[in-house]
Amino acid sequence: MGWKEAAEPVLTRMPTVQRPEGHVPFKRKLMWTGGVLVLYFFLTSVPLWGLPAGGGQDLFGQFRAILAGGQFTVLHLGIGPIVTASIVLQLLGGANLLGLDTDDPRDQVLYQGLQKLLVVFMVILTGLPMVLSGFLPADQALAQQLGIGIAGVQGLLFAQIFAGGLLILFMDEVISKWGVGSGIGLFIVAGVSESLVTGIIGPRNGLIFNWAGMVLGDTALSVDNVLGSQGQVIALITTLAIFVIVVYAESVRIEIPLSHARVKGARGRFPVKLIYASVLPMILVRALQANLQFLGRIIVSQAGSPTADGRVVIELLGVQMPWLGLYSQTAQGPNSPVGGLFYYMAPIRQPTDWMWWLASGPSQEIWQVVTRVTVDLTFMIIGGAIFAIFWVETADMGPRSTAKQIQNSGMQIPGFRQNVGVIEKVMERYIPHVTVIGGALVGLLAVMANMLGTIGGVSGTGLLLAVSITYKLYEEIAEEQLMEMHPMMRQMFGD
Amino acid sequence: MSSGQNSGGLMSSAGLVRYFDAEDRNAIRIDPRTVVAIGALFGVFVLVLSAAL
Repeated sequence: MGWKEAAEPVLTRMPTVQRPEGHVPFKRKLMWTGGVLVLYFFLTSVPLWGLPAGGGQDLFGQFRAILAGGQFTVLHLGIGPIVTASIVLQLLGGANLLGLDTDDPRDQVLYQGLQKLLVVFMVILTGLPMVLSGFLPADQALAQQLGIGIAGVQGLLFAQIFAGGLLILFMDEVISKWGVGSGIGLFIVAGVSESLVTGIIGPRNGLIFNWAGMVLGDTALSVDNVLGSQGQVIALITTLAIFVIVVYAESVRIEIPLSHARVKGARGRFPVKLIYASVLPMILVRALQANLQFLGRIIVSQAGSPTADGRVVIELLGVQMPWLGLYSQTAQGPNSPVGGLFYYMAPIRQPTDWMWWLASGPSQEIWQVVTRVTVDLTFMIIGGAIFAIFWVETADMGPRSTAKQIQNSGMQIPGFRQNVGVIEKVMERYIPHVTVIGGALVGLLAVMANMLGTIGGVSGTGLLLAVSITYKLYEEIAEEQLMEMHPMMRQMFGD
Repeated sequence: MSSGQNSGGLMSSAGLVRYFDAEDRNAIRIDPRTVVAIGALFGVFVLVLSAAL
């Protein structure tokens, strides 16, 4: 008896959102999407009950832009647990350890159940440390008022973020089944766009206000100010460049000609896009880095000891370990790593993290900064390629699956025998290479964008994700409208 | 290009979470309206609690 039989009773009973019966009109789809988005924005504005006035520390920190949600709200966890669960599933699926055949309906049910169970597990695994290690501190006044003690309030806090984590999962399912696109994609776009808009028109360090300040003479018109932290001209150019590059890269593709085996003259093309695996695997790489950073911050919050120069060093079993992690100290507790392993593994977030020649640049030695940049680049480029490969495998976009799909649709590659194996051979010439090149390229782009800075601090990955998700959404809406206008198309696409 | 598997579509675009057409008879089915309603009620409930205490 394998794990499948053992886990079946649990996995098949996981609650799922009902599927629509038959076709959902496009207008109705838009309504569901809009409704869930409104709910999402509402929930990101509901502060956690039981948090003291000063708030806590956001463990997600710089990763907030891509992990969505809202800090110190009921959606504090955002899509973090879903992404982490996805990493586990990708790694297991990519290494073929699951033994699930996603063409088999029985295994599909198991896959869906496992996916959900993993997310629930990750909600607990991410949420519990946040509450217990004091990143989300319990309000003592409330504890006394209710007479349930600190542990009781901690329980309440956890219950709220747990409910929020589950809600995000089901909201995504509602959009995936009843709406347009995927919920997670929309939540990421929503978060990134919000930061972008505040980065442009926001009263605090917003682009327009800063420019006005410079014109009115409140801020000195130096090269540093105009290009850097104040005028953010470089960030503006980077942001625009990412937009252009992603939209361009979406159109770069190798097209494999197809013709119908029986219907003469019916021709098609199978596009292998440069960003074949899409930008989504990137979020997995970033989330891996994020989880490593969480680990560091949790360790230092539990086992940190202050140093003479006002920083915090990790101390385990009475031994100080500056090689592992040295953190800067803030009023709320240890904050960002400034030395040690966790410093080198922290991704570059903004120009001041590495431009050592600037007055506001890093305090580390040049070699330390260069090491950190190198680690980040290596991690993102190699990680991007690896996760792109796994993504292609688990999303059924690999040579074998696409060959099967082409064969099933009755198409063939002109000049080749109509046979799955033959089509697979042709696909193998392109898909693996394109996947690796695309994944590495996206990784490089994300790091470069972060190094040059982006408007509103949305980070390169956030921007890449937002642009490519929006582009996909646009394609999907165009397709929906086409089907809406020509009901015959629906039958062709088997909707 | 298409929704679901085995539908003859050429490219499957997957989100982070994948949903298939197959469903088990034992699965607990939730109406999408219930999800939205619970979400909204939960938000209002937390807001009311924060305001009251």
